[in-house]
Amino acid sequence: MDSKIIEVSDLTKDYGFGRGVFDVSFHVGKGEVFGFLGPNGAGKSTTIRHLMGFSKPDSGNTKVFGKETFSNYHQILQNVGYIPGEIALPAGLTGHEFLRMMMDMQHCKDDSHLKKLLDIFELDPSGETKRMSLGVKRKLAVVTAFMNDPDVLIMDEPTSGLDPEMQQRFIDYVKEEKSRGKTILLSSHIFSEVDATCDRIAIIKDGRIVSDFVADDLKHATRKEYEVTFDDSDSYRSFQEFAKGCDYLEIIDSNDSKNRLRLVTDDKYINQVVGALAQYKITGLHHRKETLEDYFMSYYKEDKEYGGAFAG
Amino acid sequence: MKNVIELQGLTKDYGDGRGIFDLNMTIGEGEMMGYVGTNGSGKTTTIRNIMGFLKPTSGCAKVNGLTAWEHSSEYIKNIGYVAGEIAFPDLKTGTEFLKSQAAFLGLKDMSYADELVQRLQLDPSASLKRMSKGMKQKTALVAALMADPAIIILDEPTTGLDPLMRDSFLEIIKEEHQKGKTIFMSSHMFNELETTCDRVAMISNGHIIDIADIEKIHKRPVKEFKIEFMTEADYKRFKNGRYNITRDQAQYNQLTVGVTREELPQMLKDLTGFEIKFISEVVYDLERHFNEIIAQQKESKENVQ
Repeated sequence: MDSKIIEVSDLTKDYGFGRGVFDVSFHVGKGEVFGFLGPNGAGKSTTIRHLMGFSKPDSGNTKVFGKETFSNYHQILQNVGYIPGEIALPAGLTGHEFLRMMMDMQHCKDDSHLKKLLDIFELDPSGETKRMSLGVKRKLAVVTAFMNDPDVLIMDEPTSGLDPEMQQRFIDYVKEEKSRGKTILLSSHIFSEVDATCDRIAIIKDGRIVSDFVADDLKHATRKEYEVTFDDSDSYRSFQEFAKGCDYLEIIDSNDSKNRLRLVTDDKYINQVVGALAQYKITGLHHRKETLEDYFMSYYKEDKEYGGAFAG
Repeated sequence: MKNVIELQGLTKDYGDGRGIFDLNMTIGEGEMMGYVGTNGSGKTTTIRNIMGFLKPTSGCAKVNGLTAWEHSSEYIKNIGYVAGEIAFPDLKTGTEFLKSQAAFLGLKDMSYADELVQRLQLDPSASLKRMSKGMKQKTALVAALMADPAIIILDEPTTGLDPLMRDSFLEIIKEEHQKGKTIFMSSHMFNELETTCDRVAMISNGHIIDIADIEKIHKRPVKEFKIEFMTEADYKRFKNGRYNITRDQAQYNQLTVGVTREELPQMLKDLTGFEIKFISEVVYDLERHFNEIIAQQKESKENVQ
């Protein structure tokens, strides 16, 4: 894990007006899947575009396989599978023609991966790229990135626009690639996808990395959150009274109009909690899984003020 | 209720089985209809027909009783439309684009535009070319909603938005719905349609296979709970009890149980005699509803063959 395949060191690109990325540093080790999260406009794509060698840093640098990317971008393109955040396909080609063109560019001779990928993602590339819907274009980009079996994958919101079934297949495929030792950088807004695949996660906000942590720390939390709905306001209120003197659960939110509470407890107290709830008339009991999402949401909150539509 | 949007046998045949075929649907005034389907199933083709961008092979789409292909120019200004793939005209900034849209729509009062800009945290002074996908999406939303149109048509509007933006966007759409707007919105996120729409239509390979009523889906009499037991002994003891087991995952000591509202308190009481590790309701939601319909269809097809 120690060899750094992808390295970003003090990367700064200042577009003015506070836009850009500032002193961004992280690395991705061999065989690691690294999640890169952040609100729209925070600098994810800017960082990724530097890693692909498309853009020259104001200061700092980005390296893949120890090579500085801007001056070696043609090598990067050959050895790195890349899915851009926004897909622009050349006009006047069919999907087949596009794939053949990309295979030539990647010096890819073996089409066995391509066949497998077309099958997995149920892509029929015979149509014209112009006529393809957003989701079909996205599939084409996914297939293009993986078809040369590259050791490194850099993906910018790869599943945005894919339907849920295809998202799941994508997750399964990434897991498989991970088990084959691939090094992967994945930017995404979809928490379940990050949760299912990533070893480490960094969050970028306003062009700066604000948090960098190991994903497992979050997954193995034993704190659980439940949403409980009561049949009537009497049982709803008397349970609230009961909870005040209770040391194994805590109410963190309540909704009077729906007689609904959110409570947290620890795994080891679940029997006591169920026992307590059995004394009240409840109609719903729901475990909330979105701990990762909740965690990130705290970083997504914005406080900036913007000018109106006619400002500037 | 007046029908605002109608599809009558709408067909657009691209050959090789691609396209949309004999679609029928009505969206009443003030109603919000969702639209789901796999990639390439025909969502955008349907929407483009309603906008009058495509000539149907047969049948028609109507808005306020007017056929789309022939008369869309008469109603297009009353529709707030966000396309699935946004292509802006060649203008410098978002502000310029919003101004040109306002001029096209004859809009003088920009106070709602300003409010939307604030709520979506959009900086429209940025260069259109340099805008990230999310920023483009937000700019398009402001342009679509700022003139307060009676009809709103959105083609995967939240794709590419971060979760917080998606929430503020959905809040805005809910408000528009409450104001009585007629809304048609496609999406891949079942949960966002479930919390906003009155009904949701599902399209598969160009055919509408179901139109689901959200309220009916949420008010099912039997609820399912998934329970994981600490020990195999407890798992077996509960399994042999009096409850209706709908799913059995022995390898995890997990059981899924179907109970009515009335039975639930008793089940919780009974559970106090067991060591459990985990309990959660398995919500019957839109995603499950459609999955079941797809499964049923597959089954009936196999029976025919």
